[in-house]
Amino acid sequence: MARFIVRRLLLMIPLIIGITFITFCAMALVPGNFVSNLAMDPRIPEAVIKQMEAQFGLDQPLLVRYGRWLWAVLHLDFGISLQYRTNVTFLIASRAFNTVLLSLASMLLSWLLAIPIGVIVAMRQNSIVDRILSVACFLGMSVPAFFLAFLAMDFALRTGWFPVGGTFSPDYASLDTWSKVADRINHLVLPAAVLGLAGMASLMRLMRSQILEIKNAEFVRTARAKGLPESRVLYKHVLRNALNPFVTMAGYALADLLSGAALVEAVMNLQGLGLLLLNAVRSLDVPLVMASVLMGTILLLVGNLLADLALVAVDPRVDFATLAAQ
Amino acid sequence: MPDASRRRLNRVLPRALDDTRDCHTGVLRSRPSRVLPLMGLPLMRLWPCVLLLACGCRVNRPPNDHAATQTLYSSMGSDPGTFNPILVTDSASADAIGDLFEGLVKQNPKTNLIEPDLASTWTLGPDGRTITFHLRHDVRWSDGVPFTAADVLFTLRVIFDPNVPNSISFALTIDGSPITAEAPDPYTVVMHLKRPFAPLMSSIQFPIIPAHTLSHAYSSGQFNRTWGIDTPPAQLVSLGAYRIVRYVPGQQIAFRRYADYWMHDPNGGRLPRLHGQVLLINTDANSRYLQFVAGLTDVYSPRPEEVFTLEQQAARLGITIAPVGIDTGSLFFAFNRNPRHYIHNGVIDPRYKWFTDINFVRALAHAVDKQGMINLCFRGLAIPAVSDVSPENKLYYNPNLKDYDYNLALAAHLLDEAGYKLRDGVRYDPAGHRVEFELTTTAGDEALRGEMCVIFKQDLEKLGIKVDYRPQEFISLVKRLEKSFDWDCMLMGFTGSLEPNDGANFLRSSGNLHLWNPSEPTPATPWEAEIDRLLDEGAAVMDPQARAPYYWRIQEILHDQLPIIETVRARRFIAYKNSLQNYVPTVWGLYRPEMIEFRAD
Repeated sequence: MARFIVRRLLLMIPLIIGITFITFCAMALVPGNFVSNLAMDPRIPEAVIKQMEAQFGLDQPLLVRYGRWLWAVLHLDFGISLQYRTNVTFLIASRAFNTVLLSLASMLLSWLLAIPIGVIVAMRQNSIVDRILSVACFLGMSVPAFFLAFLAMDFALRTGWFPVGGTFSPDYASLDTWSKVADRINHLVLPAAVLGLAGMASLMRLMRSQILEIKNAEFVRTARAKGLPESRVLYKHVLRNALNPFVTMAGYALADLLSGAALVEAVMNLQGLGLLLLNAVRSLDVPLVMASVLMGTILLLVGNLLADLALVAVDPRVDFATLAAQ
Repeated sequence: MPDASRRRLNRVLPRALDDTRDCHTGVLRSRPSRVLPLMGLPLMRLWPCVLLLACGCRVNRPPNDHAATQTLYSSMGSDPGTFNPILVTDSASADAIGDLFEGLVKQNPKTNLIEPDLASTWTLGPDGRTITFHLRHDVRWSDGVPFTAADVLFTLRVIFDPNVPNSISFALTIDGSPITAEAPDPYTVVMHLKRPFAPLMSSIQFPIIPAHTLSHAYSSGQFNRTWGIDTPPAQLVSLGAYRIVRYVPGQQIAFRRYADYWMHDPNGGRLPRLHGQVLLINTDANSRYLQFVAGLTDVYSPRPEEVFTLEQQAARLGITIAPVGIDTGSLFFAFNRNPRHYIHNGVIDPRYKWFTDINFVRALAHAVDKQGMINLCFRGLAIPAVSDVSPENKLYYNPNLKDYDYNLALAAHLLDEAGYKLRDGVRYDPAGHRVEFELTTTAGDEALRGEMCVIFKQDLEKLGIKVDYRPQEFISLVKRLEKSFDWDCMLMGFTGSLEPNDGANFLRSSGNLHLWNPSEPTPATPWEAEIDRLLDEGAAVMDPQARAPYYWRIQEILHDQLPIIETVRARRFIAYKNSLQNYVPTVWGLYRPEMIEFRAD
C-alpha cells in the first residue's frame, strides 16, 4: 500500500506542473493584462500603467513569469494578488471557511436526501412515486442553480423567514457566541438548500440506477432464496454493492469542498471562493487564479487517491494491484 | 457543487457500471459493511432534526435599529484593493477610505468651488508661482500626534517617488517638473510651481498620510506593501471623520466616527453626527437592490429600471427617491482618424477620407436618434448630450452649443451634397466605394451600449450605409485603441471630472487617450493645434471664472469638428430612508456628509 501511495504521489508532480502551466498559458492568451483595465481612465497616465506593469513583472516573457511563479510556489510563496495587493493565501483563507461550511451543508443535504429517495424510487420502480420523483429530478437537473437562488431570495423577501442573502447579519460582530452560531445557520439554510437540491437530483438518479442494476443480480436472488428478510437483503446486499460509485464520488467531493459555486454566491451574496476566483479570472489577477487552480488540482488529486484507498477498503474485489494497473 | 458533481458523475458512471457488472459474478460476502450503517433509509429520520435546527435558528433578537445606533448602512460592489490612499486606483478602495483621509483643500460638490480643509487659508503669490497654505492647528492623527507640515512634505515625497506607482503625481507635475514644497514653520507649507497652473488647486486635494507612521516603511522600500487590506484596521493612522473598526473581506467594512475629529458644528457639537457607518460588500447588483428593499441598507443608487418600482413602493418602504443630477461622464461615438491604420504604402483607405470629411461626420451626427436611445435604453431617464463636459460641471460647461437634430432626411441631403450618392438603396462615396464600416463597443456588462449601437446602426442603414456591429471585450477594445488602432467607429464612455484639465490626456493631440488619433507627434489639424493651445492657456489662468472661456471654446471645437459625436447622459437617482436627515446627494458626492443623521424618533 505504501508503494502504491508513494507512486501515486510522485505521479501527481508532473500532473500539477502540466495543469498549472496550461492554466498559465490560457491566462496569457487572453488579450491584455491586469493593468489594461486602467487604460481607459483619462486620469491615469500611461507612464503609471507602464510602471505598474513592470512592478508586477507583467512585461516579462511567459516562460520567465511561469518559472518565477513555480520557483516561488516551491518556497511556499503563492504570490501577491494584483487586485488586492496582499498575499493570496490571506484572500483564500478569508473566504475558505464560508465555502467549506456551505459545501458541507449542501453536500450533507443532497446526500442525505438523494440516497434514501433513490432507494425508495428504485424499490418501487415505475410506481406513481417513482414517476413523480423522476420528473422532479429531471426538473432539478435542468433548472440552473442560480435560478433556484433567485427564487429562494424572493421567498426570503416575501416571507421574512430567512435573511435576504449574505453570510451573516450586518451586526454579527456585536452578537454573543450562540447568537453568532444561530445567525450563521440561519443564513446557511437557503443557500445550502439551493445547492443541495440542485446537486441532489443527479445523485438520486445514480442511486436509482445502481439499485435497479443490482436488485435482480444473482447473488441477491441467492440471498432471498436463503430466506433472509427483505430488509436485510436490501441493506446488506443490494445497498452495499450499490454504494461503490458513491465512495469514489465522496473522494471527488473533497475538491468540491473548496471550489465554491460562483453564480449562486453572486446571487445570494455569499462571498465564497467561487466568486473570488471568477472575479480574479475576469480581472486577470494571475497569482490569485493560479493559487486557486493549484489548490483545486491538489485537492482533486488527493481526493481521487483517498477515494481509491476507500474503495480498496470497502470492496474486496478491488486491490492495489488492479488499481495500479489501471 | 451541483455543476461540479454532475460533471464528475459522468466520469464516475462508466466505472460504476463496471462495478455492477462485476456484481453479477461477485460472491456473497459475509464481511460486515463499514459503510452501510451510515447510509440507507433510517437516515430519513434525521430530517426532522435538521429542519428543527434550521427553524430554531431564526434569531430572536431585537431588530438592528440603524436610527437608534445612528449607524448608516450602505452597500458597495466590490472589495477594496488597498487601504493605502496613495496607491488607490479603483473606486472601491476610494469609497472605503474616503472618510479616513483628507487633503489640504476640498471641492464643494454644490458650487464646485475649492474650499478649505486641512489648510484653513491659502494665499497665491503675486506671480502666480507660489501658493502658501496655512494649516489648521487643531488636527490630530488618530494616534494623538498632531498633524503638521512635515506630513504634507512627506506625502509629496512619496507621491513623486518613481518606485511608488500612483495616479496623483501626474496631476502635480507641470511641464514635466514636479511641484516643490517647503515648510518655513510646522503649520505653513509653501508650494512652488514652474508656472501658474490652475488645475493644481483640484489636485491639491490629494490625501495626506502620516509621516511619523509611514516614514519607516517608506525608507525601507516597503511602502507599496504597506496598509494593504490585510492590515488590522487599528493600525491605520488617519485623521478623517471616521475610522475603520472592522473589515471582513467580502462582507463589510464597519466605521466608527473619529473621537478627535477636528470639525465641529457652529454650536460646538460633535461631528460627524452619525456615530458609525457600515459598508456592505455585495458584488451582485440585484442582490444590493434586495438588501435595500429588505431594509438592510439605508441608501441605494437605483438603476433606471428600478426607479419606477421603488417609486411605487416608496410609501410602504418609507423611502424617498430623489433625483441627484446628470451623469458626469460622457458617452460618445468616436471615429478613427488615424493615418497609421488607414494609410499603408501610400494607399489611402476610403474610410480615412470619410471620417476626416467634416460633411460626412456632420451628416452622421444628424442620424443619432438621442431621444430614441433615451426612451428605449434609459427608460426616459436621460437627457441628450451635446458637450463632452457634463452640465453638472457648473464652472466649465458650455451652455451655448446647439445640438445636431435627429433628422434622417437632412442627413441624407447632406450626404448627397457632399458627393455620397445613393444608388439602389446603397450609399457610395465620391470615388465609387460602397460606404460601410465597423461599429463596436464593450460587450457584456453594459447592455445598453449594445442597444444604443443597434439604434445607430439601423438609422445609418436607412441612409444606405452598411454597418457591421461587433461588440468586443473591454480589454481587446483597449488593445485596438492603444496598439493596433484597428477600429472604425465605436461607442465609448469616459468618466467625468470637475477639473477640465483632467481630460487633457484625451483632448491633447499628444495624449495617449486622444482616441481618434492617439499620441500625434505634432497636431494633425489646425483645430487640434488650437485645442492644445487652449489647454495650455486655460491652465495658466488661476481664476475659475476667467478660465471658463478656454474650455467653452474647446467644447465648441469638438462640437464643430466632431471627432466624437456625443450621445446621451443618464439622470441619476438615489433612494434613501425617510428617517435620514440632511442627506444631500449630488453627482459629485454628498454635500456636507458630516451633518447626516437619523431623526431621533
